[in-house]
This record gives sequence, C-alpha cells and structure tokens, in this order.
Amino acid sequence: MDQWGHATDLDDIRGGFAIAGIGETAYTKASGRTAREIGAVAAELAIADAGLDPSDIDGLTWSGAFPDFDLDAFHEHFGTSHDIWTSPWGGGMAWAATAPYLAAQAIREGKARHVLNVFPVAWATQRSSMTGGPGEVHAAQSLKQNLEVPFGFFPQPVYFSSIMRRHMLEFGTTEEQFGAVAVAGRRHANLNPDAVMHAKSMTMADYLAAPMLAEPLRLFDSCLISDGGAAYVTTSLERARDLKQPPAVVAGVGEGYSGSGTHWAQQRAFTSTPQVFSAPGAFAMAGIGPADVDLLTVYDPFTVVSLMQIEDMGFCAKGEAGAFVEGDTLHHDAGRLPFNTHGGLLSHAYVLGIAHVVECVKQLRGVAAAQVPDCEVAVYGGYTGHMASTLVLTKDA
Amino acid sequence: MAIQRDTFPLPDVDDPLVAPYFAGAARGELVVPQCDGCHRYVWYPEEVCPGCGGVLTWTPVSGRGTLFTWVVVRRAFLPAFEDKVPFVSALIALAEDPAVRIVAYVDAEPAALVADQPVHVEFRPLAFSTVPGKEVVVPWFVPSSS
Repeated sequence: MDQWGHATDLDDIRGGFAIAGIGETAYTKASGRTAREIGAVAAELAIADAGLDPSDIDGLTWSGAFPDFDLDAFHEHFGTSHDIWTSPWGGGMAWAATAPYLAAQAIREGKARHVLNVFPVAWATQRSSMTGGPGEVHAAQSLKQNLEVPFGFFPQPVYFSSIMRRHMLEFGTTEEQFGAVAVAGRRHANLNPDAVMHAKSMTMADYLAAPMLAEPLRLFDSCLISDGGAAYVTTSLERARDLKQPPAVVAGVGEGYSGSGTHWAQQRAFTSTPQVFSAPGAFAMAGIGPADVDLLTVYDPFTVVSLMQIEDMGFCAKGEAGAFVEGDTLHHDAGRLPFNTHGGLLSHAYVLGIAHVVECVKQLRGVAAAQVPDCEVAVYGGYTGHMASTLVLTKDA
Repeated sequence: MAIQRDTFPLPDVDDPLVAPYFAGAARGELVVPQCDGCHRYVWYPEEVCPGCGGVLTWTPVSGRGTLFTWVVVRRAFLPAFEDKVPFVSALIALAEDPAVRIVAYVDAEPAALVADQPVHVEFRPLAFSTVPGKEVVVPWFVPSSS
C-alpha cells in the first residue's frame, strides 16, 4: 500500500498505569489571565483531586510549543524546590493523548511516581493584542508564507474548508451532515454548565443560516477561541488504587504521522488524518475494537476533522462518516457513538484537547454533565495536522 | 514569531527555496522542481530529492491541470485581503503529476466551478493595498474551454 505516513512503535503499557487526578479551570472568553496563571489553577486542582500534595509531584509534562506552565512556573506557584522529572512533549493537542505514555515510561524507569500533565491557553485574552492563536505559527513558516498565504490559502479555516469541499466532492457528504456534528456538540454543551456555549442553543437551521467564512465552511464548523486549561496526574495503576479517585486505566496509546507535515495542501491522502496510523496500534494495545468504545472524544477544530477521524479510527468506512453522524448517532444518551460529550472545541472551549481527556476520565467515573450510561471504554483522538494520537482509557476492573 | 517582512503577504522572491518559481512566473513559465536522478516532481520544493537525494532542477511544465478543490474565501483573515474578498483560492493538480498541487487563485465565477475541471495557467501581477508600490507576477489559473 501507498504509505503517506507512519505509526510510531510504542511499548505495550496496557493496564499498568492510570489517570488518578484531574483539574480544570473555568472555560471562558477573554479572562484577562495569563496562560501561566491558568496552568497553575489547573495543576492545583488536579493534584488535590488525586488527594496528593504538590511535593508528591515528581514528574511534569507540558507543551514545548506553548511552554506557559513549565517547571519554573510549578515551583514558583507552589513554593517548592524538589527534583522533578520533566518533558516538554506533553501538554495538549495530540500530546494530550501521549503524555500518559511519557509518564508511564518515566515511572517504569524509576524517574517519577506521580506525573502531572498541564495545558493552559489564553488565546481569547491574547486575541485583542493580536498575538498567539492558531494562525501565527503557520504564517511564520516560509513555504506557507511564499506558496500559500499570498494566494489566500490561510489560515486554518481555509485549509479545512478545502478538505471539506473535497470530502463533499468525493463522498457526497452534505452540509447537513457537517451540521449534525456541530449541532450534537452544542446539545452536549447545553447540558454542561462548564461549556462556553452552555447558554446558547443551536438548531440545524441556525447552523445553516450562519455566515460562510470560507465556503463551504461556516462559522459553526469552526472551533471557539477560549481561555482555560486542564491538567491530569498519571501514576501506576497500583498507586492509583490507593488514591482518592477511581482510576482511569491507560489501556492503549497510539501515535501516527503524516509524511507531508502541516502542509495539508500536499497531503497525498487529502481527506484523511494520520489517525489511520495511530488508532490501530492503540486499539490493539488495549485489546479492543471500535465497537467496544462507549465514548469517543476527538480533537475537533472543524467539523470535517471529526468526520475524518471517525472514519480513520474505523467507526465507519472511509467516506461514510457523513451518513454515519446523521440523526442522534453522536448523542450522549441515545447514540451509537457518544461523541465529544462535553461539547468539544466547537461548543465547550478551545483548550486544544486537554479537556477532551478530562471528559473521558469524568465519563469513566460517572460524573460527567452529559453522562453516557455505563461508560467503560473512553477514547481520545488527538490531532495536530502532521500528527495524530489515540488514548484508550477504561474503567478499573 | 510575528512576521517581520514588510512585503508580507507578498511572497519573498529572494527566498532561495522558492525564488525560481517566481522567476519562472515573471518570464511566463510555470516551473516545478524535478529530480535529475529519479525524475519525480518534488512539491513543495526541498533542498534535495527526498526520494533519492538527487539534485533538483526547476523544470517547465505545461501549465495545465485540474481543479482538485477550492474555497470561496468570504472573510478576510488578514488585513491585506479585506479588499479582495470574496475570492477563490484553489489547489490545482498538475497534468504532469496530479500529486503536485499548486496553490493559486482561480479567476472564475465560483458557482460555475466543477470538481476536477480542466484549468490552465496565466501569469498576472499580484499586489496588496497593504504593501503599496510592490507587485509580484504569479501563476493564476482559469477554466479551460473543453
């Protein structure tokens, strides 16, 4: 087969580790806070949720691309100075799924016992000063600056509109099918008091009436821009069982890459994500298949990214996600595939995936706002364009 | 990380990786890097062929292609585009190798565009009101009459 990307070879860590604590800040529009402050709140809450003390945290992971809450921030906030194993390959986006794997490796090697992963963002606050945001990183790349931006192919809404159009052309996907993803997400947000869009309802008619930003992509196909953050603590399953909360067991992890990096325009499999390479490994490690999944959360910056990942993870065949998501398929209470039950990036908050993992943990604990009945297997599909990742969490036996 | 170049969002025709593309357009040729060793087209440009490590030579192509996908951009995401919206930004699959997708404007009525329809290149100056007094000749695509 023509390979347009590859999977990362990962060690089997099935069943040895668990997420033992979660913390979330308020999710808001512009808050006036810095990402560093937001990260500190999330960290504090996650540590307390696990029943730990800041001095127990001996591992810390964050996003190297957005190093707002790093080791220095940790020690400054908690007034601590002990040794902490660290890695900048955690945080949000795709790395929100693989941070527990990093933690597992550090724990196995005796470098840490309790590893905290933190991801805060303050893009809503920063927007007024025209810094940060998803476009800035891309505009700085010379190939994009010279071969894409001058021709109006920028930023993300345009990239993903072009993919959306091709998905429609190749597979007959309709506007209403993209709308079904947005409307289901909003329905979940309406049930979730923590969601930014909690108080705003949205019908299919509302979706279709919203302005086109970059046709065929409408306003409600696009994620929010938010302030907020979350954190979680990974430890050994044995240790997690002694802590305050029921463990969310790390059953499988996967990671895959696209050969064309973040140059979506040149990705050979144009209407696919590297989830094609990531999900099979995670499901195999966990010993499950798509039919076993009770809750799916995926990184959903645009509705088409949800459709593609649903296909690429094997919940339906390539090209069939449009028909698959119609009706109540994605609903938390009646659906075949309860999906982004917190509201996702479109209606909960744009905190780049970290809240998706926290939602998985809440669902397994049975304490989510839009609770899935008997949720025992929860999956997060991470996506950053050039990379996808998969995290399978299960209820402790 | 902010963009410092004062001609942005015009392309940087002095960037060695892409300079030949715009030099080609200026003389009315669409050129794409092709490997001297394995003859594959390499797009986007790279320093050497990612397949065999061979030397890449910017090679003229026919300028014909098909409309792979397109976006009708209605909101200006950068100030430079405020007087350009709405416009069609498209990916053109090259006739010589459809895996090479050229990002370009398509000059056509958006409602009349059809998937995979034949298009061909023309060369026109690109200018932005935010970059006064500067222009760069670039490939532009138009529907071909069948």
